[in-house]
Amino acid sequence: MRRFLTLWAREMAGCFLSPIAYVIMVLFFAASSFTFFFGVLRNAGEVQSLVLLVVSAIVLWQPVLITVVCMRLFAEEKRTGTIEPLMTAPVTEAEIVMGKYAGALSFVLLVSLPVMGCVYALAALSPGVEFIDNGAVLGGALILSMLSAFFVAVGLFVSLLTRNQIVAAIGCFSAAWLVVLFGHLLAQIPLPWVYNSAELYSVVSHVEAFARGSIDTRTLVQYVAGTWFILFVSVRMLESKRWL
Amino acid sequence: MIRVENLTRRFAGVTALDSISFEVRRGEIVGFLGPNGAGKTTTMRVLTGYLAPTSGRVSVAGLDVLLDSREVRQKIGYLPENVAIYPEMRIIEYLRYRGRLKGLHGRKLRSRIDDVVSSCGLGDVRRKVVGTLSKGYRQRVGLADSLLHEPEVVILDEPTIGLDPNQIRMVRNLVKGLAPRHTVLLSSHILPEVETVCERVLIINRGRIVASDTPGSLVGLLKGNMHVSVEIQGPTDTVKTELETIPGVVKVTYMAHDVWGPYVCECAKGRDIRTEIFRAVAARGWVMRELRSERQNLEDVFVAMTAEDIQPSQAGNGAAGGEHGKEVAA
Repeated sequence: MRRFLTLWAREMAGCFLSPIAYVIMVLFFAASSFTFFFGVLRNAGEVQSLVLLVVSAIVLWQPVLITVVCMRLFAEEKRTGTIEPLMTAPVTEAEIVMGKYAGALSFVLLVSLPVMGCVYALAALSPGVEFIDNGAVLGGALILSMLSAFFVAVGLFVSLLTRNQIVAAIGCFSAAWLVVLFGHLLAQIPLPWVYNSAELYSVVSHVEAFARGSIDTRTLVQYVAGTWFILFVSVRMLESKRWL
Repeated sequence: MIRVENLTRRFAGVTALDSISFEVRRGEIVGFLGPNGAGKTTTMRVLTGYLAPTSGRVSVAGLDVLLDSREVRQKIGYLPENVAIYPEMRIIEYLRYRGRLKGLHGRKLRSRIDDVVSSCGLGDVRRKVVGTLSKGYRQRVGLADSLLHEPEVVILDEPTIGLDPNQIRMVRNLVKGLAPRHTVLLSSHILPEVETVCERVLIINRGRIVASDTPGSLVGLLKGNMHVSVEIQGPTDTVKTELETIPGVVKVTYMAHDVWGPYVCECAKGRDIRTEIFRAVAARGWVMRELRSERQNLEDVFVAMTAEDIQPSQAGNGAAGGEHGKEVAA
């Protein structure tokens, strides 16, 4: 446990000791909050959930954030060779994977969740917004956390596959968008049992439901199980590196 | 302490290690020699658990590197060939992080860091960012890291590469000082270093161990005819003939670098003709500037054992083999 915490702390430090972290934070905040305000202006005069708008804005920009955070995770360690001291230290592969995962996920949450505050900022500034549904905000934050957890796991796995950061970046970005659009892709397959269940895998409909405050435990289980599975595969993947 | 039995390691299409076996006893300092690509780094990586063996058994301190990988790694301090350290960290932060990974905490961690920082000469730079350090300093940070948790076995892959002569001397003394408490396996290209530091030498070539002995007896293996180099000022032909008449001399070669020669006399095994040469020169009244027996060193052994077309069984054929090997290598 202590070793896991050490690895976690190191991963967080790795994020915050480089100037890139602060650049990412500012750019992500600017991009997603402008997207939110643009959405608000477009829907002016209509009945529209602000929470849904803000969560959608964050989800829209998250693939970029995930890419920038995850592409370094293992690809950089492999390229610079720091993976060797890491793998020869008395730590297990599971600790390494979980430490890196926890570090990356903390950073992603630290960057994306504060954007939710835009809703409160808007409410404070405009007399038209009378009350904010805190349950919906909580639901939105929950689905964002779940989605981030899944995204980061996917990104970490992609980063394990290559030592080239550019390849890792393109892989992470495509994989993240594939996750977002997965439900829509399934809906296009002309088999009734596939397109009927497409809704269950659609990130967009998950976000819509949670941003209304309707928390669906099936969705939670789906994300937690998916994340767990990808992390498990990543640990096995890292173990197999010793044999190649 | 380290026991390797029939270790084979294959990479896609290449056999890096071909059924090697060796043993390192507790408290020994063993040098690992071999040309580039011989399998030194691969062997060390298998020992440290970074790579798994394709077949064979490897155990460190009685524990199998595959089955008890984590315990083995806890007992090993490893300095990789290319020391890679997170460039954005300070030395002291890096050592703290590594110490925690190796299970050190609190006061123990602080005192161990102080120890390795002073023994590796990092005192003045401890707060510097790793990315701004020179290669020599990074090498020493790697060394400090490998000694941090007082490992029973220390594995150093070319520890003195990139260091200046003063630092090399410091590292050598440091390694020598490890001997009674720690077992050390170090690889190196610098042969005098291995000769002075190591009690035993393993020579590896093309994935096979070709020799394993003390530096002294390895050199003894090669001892054939003795060569004496002598610099004399005198009429070349007369000097040469005079030297050839000395009993025991097999052959005299005039190297013709300048008026002094040198003349290289090859003489039969076990005979020291240096006094006879001196007498002969003194009797003629020539001037002598140098008289030196050409001692063979580990370099000749290394070249003889690892040259492409020389098999280990022929290595005992004497100096001729060594000379031949040198030409091939050149």
